[in-house]
Amino acid sequence: MPDLSRRSFLKATAWIAGGITIAFSARLIKEKSVSVGPTLEFPNAESGKGWLQVRSDGKVHMLCPRMEMGQNANTGLAQIVAEELNIRVQDITLHYPTTSETAPIGFTAGSLSMMLFSKPVAIAAASMRENLRCRAAKINKISVDEVIDTEGGFVILGSPRIGYQDLVTDESIELDFENSVIPTLYTFDPRRIKKQVGQEAEPRGIKDLVTGAPVFSGDIQLPGMLYGRVIKPPVRKARLKNLNFSTVQNIIGFFDIVRDGDFVGVVCRTPGSLDKAVRSVIIEWELPEPINQEKINQLLDINVALQRGDLPSTLQDENHNPSANWDVDLEFAVQLQTHAMQEPRAAVAHIEKINDIERINIWTGTQDPWAIKRHCADDIGFREDQVEVHPMRMGGGFGGREHYEVEQDAARLALATGLPIKVQWTREDEFRVARNRSPSSHRMRLACDHKGVLSNWWHAYASGYVFYSRSRLPDWLLPFKRSTAGGDFGVSRGAHPAYKSPSIRVEYKEVDLPIDLGVWRSLNGAPNTFVIESTMDELARQKSIDPVRFKLMNIPDSMARLGNCLKRVETMANRNPLPAKSGYGRGFACGVYEKNSFVAVSVDLHIDHEARKICIDRMCCAQDVGMAINPDQLRAQIESNLVWSIGMALMEKVEIGDGQIASNNFHNYMIPRMSDMPSLDIDIIDNPIIHPSGAGEVALIAGSPAIANAIRDATGLRLTRLPIKYTDITALGSL
Amino acid sequence: MVSLLERISNPIFNKPNMNLFVNGTERVVTGVWEEETLLSVLREYFGLIGTRFGCGKGLCGSCTVHVDGEPVRSCITPVNNIAGTSVLTIEGLQQDNEKLHPLQQAWIDERVPQCGYCHSGQIMQAWGLLSKTRNPTEEQINTFMDSILCRCGTYDRIKKAILRAAVMLQQSSDTNA
Repeated sequence: MPDLSRRSFLKATAWIAGGITIAFSARLIKEKSVSVGPTLEFPNAESGKGWLQVRSDGKVHMLCPRMEMGQNANTGLAQIVAEELNIRVQDITLHYPTTSETAPIGFTAGSLSMMLFSKPVAIAAASMRENLRCRAAKINKISVDEVIDTEGGFVILGSPRIGYQDLVTDESIELDFENSVIPTLYTFDPRRIKKQVGQEAEPRGIKDLVTGAPVFSGDIQLPGMLYGRVIKPPVRKARLKNLNFSTVQNIIGFFDIVRDGDFVGVVCRTPGSLDKAVRSVIIEWELPEPINQEKINQLLDINVALQRGDLPSTLQDENHNPSANWDVDLEFAVQLQTHAMQEPRAAVAHIEKINDIERINIWTGTQDPWAIKRHCADDIGFREDQVEVHPMRMGGGFGGREHYEVEQDAARLALATGLPIKVQWTREDEFRVARNRSPSSHRMRLACDHKGVLSNWWHAYASGYVFYSRSRLPDWLLPFKRSTAGGDFGVSRGAHPAYKSPSIRVEYKEVDLPIDLGVWRSLNGAPNTFVIESTMDELARQKSIDPVRFKLMNIPDSMARLGNCLKRVETMANRNPLPAKSGYGRGFACGVYEKNSFVAVSVDLHIDHEARKICIDRMCCAQDVGMAINPDQLRAQIESNLVWSIGMALMEKVEIGDGQIASNNFHNYMIPRMSDMPSLDIDIIDNPIIHPSGAGEVALIAGSPAIANAIRDATGLRLTRLPIKYTDITALGSL
Repeated sequence: MVSLLERISNPIFNKPNMNLFVNGTERVVTGVWEEETLLSVLREYFGLIGTRFGCGKGLCGSCTVHVDGEPVRSCITPVNNIAGTSVLTIEGLQQDNEKLHPLQQAWIDERVPQCGYCHSGQIMQAWGLLSKTRNPTEEQINTFMDSILCRCGTYDRIKKAILRAAVMLQQSSDTNA
């Protein structure tokens, strides 16, 4: 039985007991959120104060406000706490709260953790430090100015060192922050020589990951637990037509079948008997509407939309001249892509009765545990205080774990059987229900003067919905959201030009595609930047201007950080000359993610005709996301993004078969492997005076266009349909 | 000597009393669990949850363990085909209570994991390489590790960690000699 002590610890010890707690302030609880949609309670200046505690032994404890999926955001936040409290990051004990142990905290998505949480956490820790300083002053009957920082405590002239343990009693003390002033934040003080922030802190929990400790939801085991699975229809909202489970009783290990309308769940005593039992169930579905690739292509056809003037959303429109003398005019097709996180989702649910009141406990890896709590309460008719979600580490998220889904399977089966149930989705389930990154179709036209100064910009595209897709919101809410939200900002992400042009039009169409779509790393940031950077590169080459010079010339002063990244990456690329052989090429691309994250990537590649493969040899990346709290983890995120950009440019595509998604496992959805890896050269531009911005989905946006631009350099071919295959090069006759 | 492949494919080698030596300890598999995959027995019957489920088809390698010293995909290995064999999982890799296995230590030193889900399988596959090839080339690493997927894309660090562990193993064998 795995040791669950880490999870049960909080309940056993009660977070508030002992030491100083800056208790969570009840007034921060907003009114009940609408049950659909994510948890949006992002922290204000006071929120972080409930997450910290100095216990009577002087040790600092922190409640982790972020869900872990590999980004190690809580390690970065702990570095901030350590900096403020003059302690070492490894001396902070981290706790992962359940949904009953803190008020709701905004969902973990959109690379917001450092941007939105660094300051509230710094304020909380600095407030704690100043409170301790006041106590030291009071005890010693001196003024606070005479209490000087030292490691893990304070010094007063002529007295022995005071440790935090000397200042904390056994009682829990709530501090009044109504009139508190924000103390000096060491983290954001550019003059301070930092000891924790900016250092390469070891990711917390890394030892658990290399020793196989129970950290994921599928690792939970409860006494008497059974294994359940809900039979997933080929597409959402399919209706059950025929069901025959007459032979399921014969399967050794079969326990029960649970049916409620279109919900069909099977419960068995072992995972293997569950597989057999599910296979023995004969089930037929009535599909809401036939889907196929051709139909999706038609719905997305940008040329048809342009002809009909059917592009209802305008992102930017200045001095547009549709009949300008366009130097380049390209059409692009970006593919359907899926998250394919390494861990197929899993959840364990258990209903217990305490004093005649039923409570459900759910262990799950999710980006939004409070949404799971709300939706579960709605779904099974419990009050919210009867639902406790125990968030576990996610084996990858990438935007694919925000909804109440596998948790619903487990909760309903636990309710139906009265027993603890583990639901482990199969890889095929994961492919079937994923809300994928929409395909999109683009047309981009550019013109410039003879010197290479941009004169006209026209980007028109059609994409499926991202936030307001039919698989993310209930039918009744869709029309309202689509008409009042002011555009689906997932669709428009990355479409704002980073370049200056006197004439610009960016327009798009949000298409209601009959496939399940949603949030994927960078949203449409990567597709839109792929289109923009490919077209800019093409224009430079047609004008016989060096693409990097051309881009630098057109980057406005307000985007100096972008230009800086591009110059930096060019220098990095030039350290290794490209082999002067046919079939070798170098490409550059740059981009801005969410206004404040800047990146540039270079790619060296060659076409290997013997292996019939496009081989990426080297990638360089320069990235500026402001203050680098943990440079090693920034580098890790860049590595991950660069690998994803290879997948996007050259490999990944969700295939649509007859009536349903055809890709269902790693043999027909290819992702990058070790042998696909180039050598990497990464430069973090540390900008300590600038507040940290997101880093989890930045380098991806520039990686894939840099690959396409390198292919152009190597072959002379401008390839605009993703993913680009070796056969695309040979089909177009380049050698 | 019967090869592992023969044993997996030929049920004649199965013993009537299903037992396994897991991480050096004899364990008995009974009843309905005899019909399960090795992965399911390890995780759900023995509670050795360090071996992870990734695809169920032997395509991603997250479930890699060693059977008689060879890395295998436990998600597609019926447990009744490997009766009597020795199974090594991530939980049994560390020989010394005080000290992590060189690969585990190298994984920490290079800060390899992101989400961490694939790394039990990565480390077990890497041990399949290093236990036989103490000084692998980059090319050998690429070939041997190519079948173990990491969606976070930590491959660069995996490679560095394997090279680092190879040096650590070399140093410890020098000391022992």
